[in-house]
This record gives sequence, C-alpha cells and structure tokens, in this order.
Amino acid sequence: MDNGAANPIIVCENVKKWFGDFQALRGVTTSVAEGEVVVVIGPSGSGKSTFIRCINRLEQHQEGRIVVAGIELTSDVRNIERIRSEVGMVFQQFNLFPHLTVMQNITLAQVWVRKRSRSDAEERAMALLERVGIPEQAAKYPGQLSGGQQQRVAIARSLAMDPQIMLFDEPTSALDPEMIKEVLEVMQELAGTGMTIVAVTHEMGFAREVANRIVLFDEGQIVEEGPPSEFFANPRHPRTKMFLSQILSH
Amino acid sequence: MANRPSLASPTRPPLWRNATFLKWAAQIGVLFGVLALGSVLVGEAMANMRAQGLALDWDLLTDPPGIQLGEGIFIKPSTGLEAFYTGAVNMLRVALSGIVAATVVGVIVGIARLSSNWLASRLASVFVESFRNIPVLVQVVFWFFFASTFFPVLEEDSSGPIPGVLLVSRKGVSFAWPFPQETFWQWGAFLVAGLLTARWAYRTRMRRAEELGEDTRPGTWALLAFLAWAVVGWFAHPLAGAIGWLFMLLAASVGAIPVLAYQVILALISLYLGWRWINRFLDSRRSPAGLAKLTDDDYFRMILAGALGAGGAAVLMLLPAATEVGTNVVQYLLEFCDQKFEFLRSGAPLAIGTPSVDVPGRFPQIASTGLTMTPSFFGIWMGVTLYTASFIAEIVRGGILSVPKGQSEAGYALGLRRGQLLRMVILPQAFRVILPPLGNQYLNLSKNTSLGIAVAFPEMVQVGQTMFNQTGDTIQVILIWMAFYLSISLLISVLINYYNRRTQLVER
Amino acid sequence: MNSESFDLPLPPEPPPKALRIGWLDWARNNLFNSVFNGTLTVILTAGMLLLILGVLRFVFSPDRRWEVMPPNAANYVVEAYPRDDLFNMWLSLWIIAALAGVSTASWGMGGQVSVIKVVAAVRAIGATALVVGVLSLWSPAGSATQTVLVWGGVVLFGLGAGAMRLVREEREVSVARVLAIVGALLVGLVWYMPLESGTTWPLTITALVVVAFHWVGKLVGQWLSAQLMKRVITVLWVLSFPVIYLHIQRNPSLVWAEVTPWLPWAGLLIAVGPVVIWVVSRAGREQAAGVNFLLGAVAIYSWVIQWPMAIRVLFLLLTLFSLATPTFAASPRARRAFYWTWLAGGLCTLYFFLMGIGSTDLATRGHFLGGINLTILLAVGGTALSFPLGVMLALGRTSSMPIFRILSIVYIEVVRGVPLITVLFFGDKVIPRFLPPGLDFAGEAKALLAITAFSAAYLAENVRGGLQAVSKGQTEASRALGMTTAQMTMLITLPQALRVVIPALVGQAIALFKDTSLVAIIGLADFLRVARDIVPNQPDSLGSILENLLLAALVYWIFAFSFSRASLRLEKRLGVGTR
Repeated sequence: MDNGAANPIIVCENVKKWFGDFQALRGVTTSVAEGEVVVVIGPSGSGKSTFIRCINRLEQHQEGRIVVAGIELTSDVRNIERIRSEVGMVFQQFNLFPHLTVMQNITLAQVWVRKRSRSDAEERAMALLERVGIPEQAAKYPGQLSGGQQQRVAIARSLAMDPQIMLFDEPTSALDPEMIKEVLEVMQELAGTGMTIVAVTHEMGFAREVANRIVLFDEGQIVEEGPPSEFFANPRHPRTKMFLSQILSH
Repeated sequence: MANRPSLASPTRPPLWRNATFLKWAAQIGVLFGVLALGSVLVGEAMANMRAQGLALDWDLLTDPPGIQLGEGIFIKPSTGLEAFYTGAVNMLRVALSGIVAATVVGVIVGIARLSSNWLASRLASVFVESFRNIPVLVQVVFWFFFASTFFPVLEEDSSGPIPGVLLVSRKGVSFAWPFPQETFWQWGAFLVAGLLTARWAYRTRMRRAEELGEDTRPGTWALLAFLAWAVVGWFAHPLAGAIGWLFMLLAASVGAIPVLAYQVILALISLYLGWRWINRFLDSRRSPAGLAKLTDDDYFRMILAGALGAGGAAVLMLLPAATEVGTNVVQYLLEFCDQKFEFLRSGAPLAIGTPSVDVPGRFPQIASTGLTMTPSFFGIWMGVTLYTASFIAEIVRGGILSVPKGQSEAGYALGLRRGQLLRMVILPQAFRVILPPLGNQYLNLSKNTSLGIAVAFPEMVQVGQTMFNQTGDTIQVILIWMAFYLSISLLISVLINYYNRRTQLVER
Repeated sequence: MNSESFDLPLPPEPPPKALRIGWLDWARNNLFNSVFNGTLTVILTAGMLLLILGVLRFVFSPDRRWEVMPPNAANYVVEAYPRDDLFNMWLSLWIIAALAGVSTASWGMGGQVSVIKVVAAVRAIGATALVVGVLSLWSPAGSATQTVLVWGGVVLFGLGAGAMRLVREEREVSVARVLAIVGALLVGLVWYMPLESGTTWPLTITALVVVAFHWVGKLVGQWLSAQLMKRVITVLWVLSFPVIYLHIQRNPSLVWAEVTPWLPWAGLLIAVGPVVIWVVSRAGREQAAGVNFLLGAVAIYSWVIQWPMAIRVLFLLLTLFSLATPTFAASPRARRAFYWTWLAGGLCTLYFFLMGIGSTDLATRGHFLGGINLTILLAVGGTALSFPLGVMLALGRTSSMPIFRILSIVYIEVVRGVPLITVLFFGDKVIPRFLPPGLDFAGEAKALLAITAFSAAYLAENVRGGLQAVSKGQTEASRALGMTTAQMTMLITLPQALRVVIPALVGQAIALFKDTSLVAIIGLADFLRVARDIVPNQPDSLGSILENLLLAALVYWIFAFSFSRASLRLEKRLGVGTR
C-alpha cells in the first residue's frame, strides 16, 4: 500500500472548473491507486467537494482529463453511466429517497441498473444492512430513522452496486457527535476490506488512523499531500501548518 | 413546618372571574346573537315575500317553468326539476372535459417550463403569464365572440377545414365522434373486464420483471389484454346482455324489502359512526400513562359527535320519506341499468358520426350527426381550460422543483438514467406536493363553469337565473345552487383527502 | 484566515474563451442539445411563426376598428360620470399621484440598475418591434402603424446595439431616473395620440404632480423621522380612498337641517371619549369591567331604539376602545396614543357620516360609478374591507372556543364552496328581501358587500396558514411573560402570521381584482361591461367587440402582471420562506 501510482484507478490531469467567472478548480493533478484510502481536507470553499463531484461527473470539468477505472470522462452518455455504476457516492445530506422504504432504497438501483432479480437484490441488501449494523430497520421509511442510521443506509445503498470506488462527500458533517462515531466505524471497516476510498471529511482522527494519503486543498488546488504520519508530524507548506494549527487547536 | 399553606380547599373563583364560565358565556352569547339576527332577517324576508305574493315553497321544481334552454337534454323542460337537471348535466360536461383538457395542457406546459430547450421554456412562461393574469370572465367572453363573429359563416355546402372530420363555423365547431349505440353498455361490460385483466396483467408482469431483473414489457401486456377483451367483446357483446337479469333481480329485491328495514339499518350505522368517532378520539387522547386530562373543548367535540350520530338516527327514523326517496333512486338506477342490457341484443356498439350541414328552414344549421360545440360551450370551455391550465402548469413546475437537488444527484450517482430517475424518484415525490393544489384547481374550474351565464350557456347558474326571472323565487334558487356546488366541492375534496392520506410520507 | 498571504502556486485564470459563448454556441447548447430538443425547436418555431402571422393578420386586418378606442377613453375609465364634473375625477387622480410621489420618496425606488441591462432592454424592444413590423408586411393592408413599427424598431435596435458597444464596463443608473425617462416618453405619447380633447393637459399635470410630490416627500423627509413619515403616508393612503369616493367623486351637498339634531351629541361623545379611556385605564379590573358592560349595554340598546346612525356607530366604537383599554393602554404613553387615535378615528367617522348623508349633487340618474374607476373601487374596497373580517374568521377558526370555531368553519367552507357569481346574485337579489319594503342599497354597494364577504373566506384561509406557521415557542414565551390571550394575539402571533402571508395576501388581492369583472354579469357598468356591451353597442363603434375585449384583456393583464411582479420582489425583500 505504498503511495506510488503503480495501479492507478483514478487519474486526474490539470483539471480546471469554473462557476461563471469564479474558478473552483485551478488545475488539479493527482492519481489514486487501487485500494488506496485518500482523505481530502481543506477550508470551506476550497474546491474539495467540487473535485470529488467531478470524479463521477455530478459536476463537469472544463479543462484537463479525468480517467476513472480506465474510462475517460467525456460527455459521452455511455461512459458516464458506466463510471457511475462503478463509483459509489455518499452525500452529506444522505439523500435517501423518502418515499421508499430502506429495503426499496437499497434494491431500486440493483434491480433497474444492475438488472438483478428482486430476491438477489433483497438478499444482498439484507447482508449489507447487517454489515452496517441495522438489519432490523429494513421495512422502515428514511423519515423514521436517526441521521446516523440514514447515513449507514446510504452507504449500504452505494455498496449494493458493488462499486470499485467509494466517494464520501463530508459524510459526517450533518450528524450529531455520537452518530458520527457509528458512521466512521462503518467507513473504517470498509477501508479494511481493500476498497478504494476518496473521502472529504473534517474528522482528523479518521484521517490519521485510516488514510493512506492526505490531500490538502485550498483555492482550488492541491497545496500538499502525503501519508498521514508525515503530513501531521512535519508539514512542509506554511498553509498546511496554519490549517493544522487551526483545526487541531480544539 | 408549622405554617405550611393549606392545600385542602382551593377557593372557587366567583362566576365573573371563572375563565371557563366566561369563555362559554361569550360563545353562547355570540351564538344567540347570530341566531337572533338570522331569525330577524328571515322573518323580515318572509313578510316581504308575503307582501309581494311570493311563498317560500318548492313549487318551482314541479311547475312547468315556461323557459327555453340553449342546449342540453331538455331544451324545453316541462318541470323546474328537468331544467335544473339539464343545467347540472351541462355544467358537468364542461367541468369534466375541462378538467381533463386543463390537466393535459397544464402538465405539458409545466414540464416545458423546466425544459432545457430555451424556446420551449420561454413559450411556456409566456403562456402561463398571459392566461393567468387575465380575468377568466374576459377570456370566456372573448372566445365566445371569437367563435361567433370570427369563424366562417355556415353555408349549405360548408364542410370545414377537414371535410368529414372537422367543421368550424359561427354556429359551432362540429367534429367526427364515435356515438354509443343501443348495445354500448353490453360492450362496456367487456371493457370493464378488459381493464381489470389489464391491471392484473400489468402487476403480474411487473412482479416478474422485478424477480427476474429483465424487462417483461408490462405495459404492452396490459394493452394487449385490454385490446383482446375489446375485440372479443365487439362481437360477443350480445352474450353480456345476460347481466340485465342480475340488475332486474337486484331492483326487485331492493323494492321488496320494507322501508323500515333500511331506516333501522341506516340509523344504526349513524349511531355506530358517532360512537366510533368518540372512541377513536378517546384513543388519540390516551397515552401509556393513561387518559390525558380532557379540556372542555374535548368534551364539546365528543358531545357534538354523539349528538350528530343520534340526531342522524332520529331523523332517519322519524322521516321515512327521506329513506324512501333514497331507495327509489337506487331502484330507478338499477332498472335503468337493466334496460341497457338485453340477452342476445345485437348491433355495433359504436357508430361514427361525421359533421354535416342541415337546412331545416331558411338558414343552414349544423346537423346533429357529429359532436358539436356551440359557440357558448366553446367560449366557456376554452376560457376555463386555458385559465386553469396556466395555474396547473405552475403547480406542476413547483412540485417538480420542490424535490431537493440531492435526490437527483443520489439517483445519478447510483447510475439511474434520466427517465428512470424521473419515473421512480422525482415524480412520486413531486406528486405528493402537486396533488392538494391540483385538487383546488379542479374545484376552481368547476366553480368557474358558472361563468357560462355570461355567454348564455345553460349551466346551473344560467338556468337558475332564467328560473327566478320567471318566478321570483330567488331564495329557493340560491339554496339549490348552494346545495349543488357544495356537494361538488365536498366530493372533490373527499377524493383529494383520500389520495393525500394514501400518499403521505412516513416521518418520525 | 487570510490565505492570500500564502504563496500558492496556481493563480486564478479567467474562464477559457470557449466558455464565453457566442450566439451560435448558445443556440447549440439551448436549442439543439439533443435530437428531441432540436426537433422540438423546429416545430415550435414553425408553430410560433404561424401563430404570430395569424395574430398580425387579425390585428392589421382592414375589418378591425381600433380607431374607436381613443374617442371612448373616458367611457372606459369613468363610464357615465357627468362630463361637466370631470374635474372631480382628475382631482382624484392627482391625489393618488401625489401620494404615489411622496411614497416613492419615502420608500425608495429599488436602487440601481446596470446600464447594460437598460440598453439591452432598449435593444430587445427595438428588435421585437422590427420583427413584428416585418412579419406584419404579410398581413392584408399596409398601414402607418407598420411603418412606425419597422422604422421605430430599426432606430431603437440601432441605438441599443450602438450603445451596447460603447458602455462595456459596469456602470449603474438609478431606477428612478429610468422610470422618469419612461414617464416623460409616455407624456410625449399622450400629446401625440388622438385622445379625447381636454385630457392632454390633465394627464401631463398628473405626471408633474408625481415628480413634484416626489421632491416634496424628499424635503419633508429631511425634517421627519423615516418611521413617522411612513406612518403618516400609510394613514393618508387609508384615508384617501374614502375621501375620493365618498366626497370628491360623489360631490355631496350637505343638508344642515338633517344634521343639526344629532351633531352636538356626536361632538359631545367624541369629546367624552378620552375621559372614558382615562377612567377605565385607572380603575381596577372589576370597575373597568363594569364601565365596559354599561357602555356595551347602551351601545346595543341604541340599536334597538334606533338612535341616529352616527351616534350608534360612535357608541359601538367607543365600547370597542374602552374594551381594549385595560389590555393595551396601561402605560401613560400608550394611553396618550389611545386618546389621539380615538379623537382622529371619531372625527373621521363623523366626517364620513356627514358626507354619506348628503345626497349627490351630480346631474346623473343616480349612478355615477363605472368603468375602471368602479373596478378599482371594488378591488381596493373589497380588499380593505375583507381584511378585518378575514383576520377575525381566521382567529375564530384557530380559536380554542368550539362555537366560534364551528361558526367560522361553516362560513368559510360554505363561501369557498360556491362560485362568486352566486354570492353576487345573493347580494343583488336576496339582500333587498331582508330590508324593509321600498328600501334598497345601490347595486355598487351590494356588489362590494358580496365581494367582501366572498374574499374574506379566502383571506381567512391564508391568514390561518400564517397563524399555524408561528412556532409554538412564540406563544409559550408570551405566556411566560404573563401576556393575556388578547395581548398575545395582537402583539405576537398576528403580526408574525401576517408577515409570513403577505405574498399570499397580495395574490389574493390580485385574484380579487380579476374577480371584480364578474359584476358585469349582474349589470354593473364596470370596465368589462363597458368594453363588452357599452362601447361596442354605440352606433359609431358597432362591430368592434373583439377589439374591445382585447383591450380589456390587455388592461387587466397589465394591472395583474405588474402587481404579481411587485409581489415577487416584495417576497424576496421580506425573505419569506428563507427564514
């Protein structure tokens, strides 16, 4: 699990993105190896969310290249669909479908995108619900669950598609402290299985323990990246030092 | 410990400081005031009417009204009841066809407003902003005069823009239409069976699709099932005439049971409903800790529900005439259905009529061979349809926009396609938001049909006004209007509430 | 967190040229971005062209009689108002114009707008005129209007496009200035149009009054506090409509003999009012209740023995004031405000009674309200009168007192369940049945009553929505502060609820404005009736009904559309929904 791009599954080259006249990404170049766990940190508005949303094309980049699992992201609809079914995504606001039960939430895309039979899909869903620790909630509606439970259902929903890569966009930012822990535990367990993970998060404990590499974003660019031991112990860039002092001071 | 205040006997406040007493005194006072004012006004009205030789009776329903209506079932009604019946049917014709048309137009325009096609979204907003900001009455009057002055004059050899299909003239818009024939009901029985089969086929294929994970074309299957029944029925319908015997049997048995039995059953139902409401209310006030303390308002609600139940039962028992009218209507309907079916009666169920011109006197008229919209109907129909469609478009747009952006992002992230996302994620959620205001618009459309009076279209209000201009029975006519429109409002809101409850989101 | 101080390697760049799209790319992105959309664009363009050509052929057809409109301008606006007394109407307009001018000074005029937007608007108007003008060449007859359209379009488009090249940077201009220029152009148009004689000067004066009073408002605003200024303007607006309709337009002649028997008593009552308020506010709870009970009994008794109407109403008003005194006028300051409110309210009531009793001096057959004037009266009057009734019904429906609740629910649901036209017929035909024989109200008054009764039910439902939106914490907090139910309702719940529902209330007012057209059916001469029956049936303008109806549609549309736009802006400014 070294940092080298021996077997890169995500490759970004000089990715740029504008919202009107505002430049959100100023040329991001990086790659993620298979099985690697990358944690993206940075102040708000630094472009880190935009970056990972570009990876499954919820946002379109305007310059540069992004290659995911050997498929280049262009406006070709077929490519986008293939990439999206290989990349799972977990959102800050969970985004569960409120009109469907937990079970239906997890089986919907399995049946209609992966074309699995209903019984297979339900079996897989139950297995995943057990893995995230809430098998007893299968028949309930999202509105009846706590935030932490909803986020775990959202993770199970993404995992049910058997993705090669999981993206987490601030998965714990909308949660109460005691619920953060239950979600982080699921993510940690997931990292242990060798899944490729790119996570935007403010949980420094998680970053230190689980990540293979930490990437600091500011003003739409990568300021510094490196393994957590090095990154936390002796940051090189003054921006990193300041960011760490602010975030670790409390 | 010695001078602990005594808790033994709380002093009751004097009556004029007792909050509960004051509250009820005020309410009963106001109620009494309202009733007194009402009785004074009614008394004055009665005296005024007596002075003018009018009476507050219902003779206008049975007397020959001596009026002529523009179109409808009875053009020269022989009783007031027939006149109102014609008006009601005319109103329902406009309302139902208008609701369908306004929904179709409104949904298309609403979706077009969200389209990524700039021209479509712009045109849709122009449509919405024009039609909703012009009073519906102006629109109704405009379309009426448009049809009756701008369309071509009807000549003997007119055949319209599409000969044999569509004939447009100042006398009206006539178009080809399949008219139901004598045997239509027999075929209709097959169509109902086809619908049920189609529903069953759709569900079975859908379940199979989910089990196997492949496309099983449930829509095609359902359509084929329905078509099969329709085609078979077209030839086999004389057999369905046998259903007539069933209706005859039912009608006979309804008549055979004495009225008293219906009275007793309905009265018991009324009592049961009151009792059930009270019981449920008490349940809702009960928590694991026991029954919550009931306020005077709670007691009032329970007493009212009980009184309504008991009152309904009493009315049913004391007035056998009401029940009798009800059973007579049911019996009449069953006999009516019976006539529509006759074993082995044959003939095509539908016959297509095409528009044509007839010259009965000196002037050409549109013959009754096609389905004709008179200029009056055209005016009121176009007016209420376009006006309501502009509101429905806004409701549809708002409903779709009300689904959070995160929902479509999550759907895309799971790999759903745009169509799948719309069908399985966005629309089911938008529908909940759309439904209540949509029902309100249907209600508004139904009420706006009353503007037919401005273009001489004989719906309820126009018929009523013609009636009271003849007889002077304004109060009766207004009571009939109120009863009619309130029942329609009630019907629509009951339907909407029913659907609303079925589709509500489950929350914590 | 000033990250600028860190020397990050990549500076921001402007978006690549390809992103600043030219119109060809724009068309590809917005009109032809998929096969379906491309087809749709082609079909819609064809359909739109056909529709526009059809409309133009209709508009420019030699059969159309647009020329009947300018000579009938006075009919549309005031219908049968005696032409000799038209000065009264102009005076009404000037009062409104003056108030509008002062209001613009006090409320401000929406700030700045970028010059580029204004220029783009001019260019767009020019382009539209040019396209319409060119398309209209396919219609039967050429006319002067077409020439004006084409050349006007060319000039405006050229001006706009030229200015667009000159003003590139973000310069701004105040909205007031733009509106002033548009207004000046309109006044110019008035002098050019063949309007009825004697209207050009008054219309010009109207424009001048707006401008003059805008400056007056600015000057006065330097002396008065903004809050006081707004309050004064609100009171003036509220008073202006009764003054205009009851006094200026009606032009009553006061018969002193009818007034003298009760006038001193009314004056005395007004003078005694402050004393009553003082006594009630200083007395103990039970004594105050006693005084109120006594007043209420006299007020009710006065209706039974039929004292002069003014005395009855004043007594009722005094009872209400006195009832409210213990709850709302405890502090000396509030009490002083109460004295002044009572004196002003009493004098206004008295004034309107004096004006109402005198019969009109106009040489008409009794009805002098008509046209747009009547439409505005019904819309403004209906909105204003239905407001208190609607709020009362909403409070009743949300009340914890079951009988009030049931009465409110029955009223609201019955009225909402029937069409307005039946309510209008009820007012027109059934109200006279309830009155003593021979007595009847004017048709306009009955229609106003019916519209008010109808609108109140809808308004009540809107206000109820607002009342339910007020959080429970608010009521609990006011209970904890020891407020009574009345204080809580008037000071906490209702103000918050009304603020939330302002957009809904404006929407309701617009709906009411459109609904006033229904009075044409019961025979009142409102704007729609003038356009539908009165003008097209004059010998000089026979066969112009479609033109007249289109004019009516346009005028109603302009009112309703601009109000709904204003409401949208208001909604944004209040931040409703983003709380």
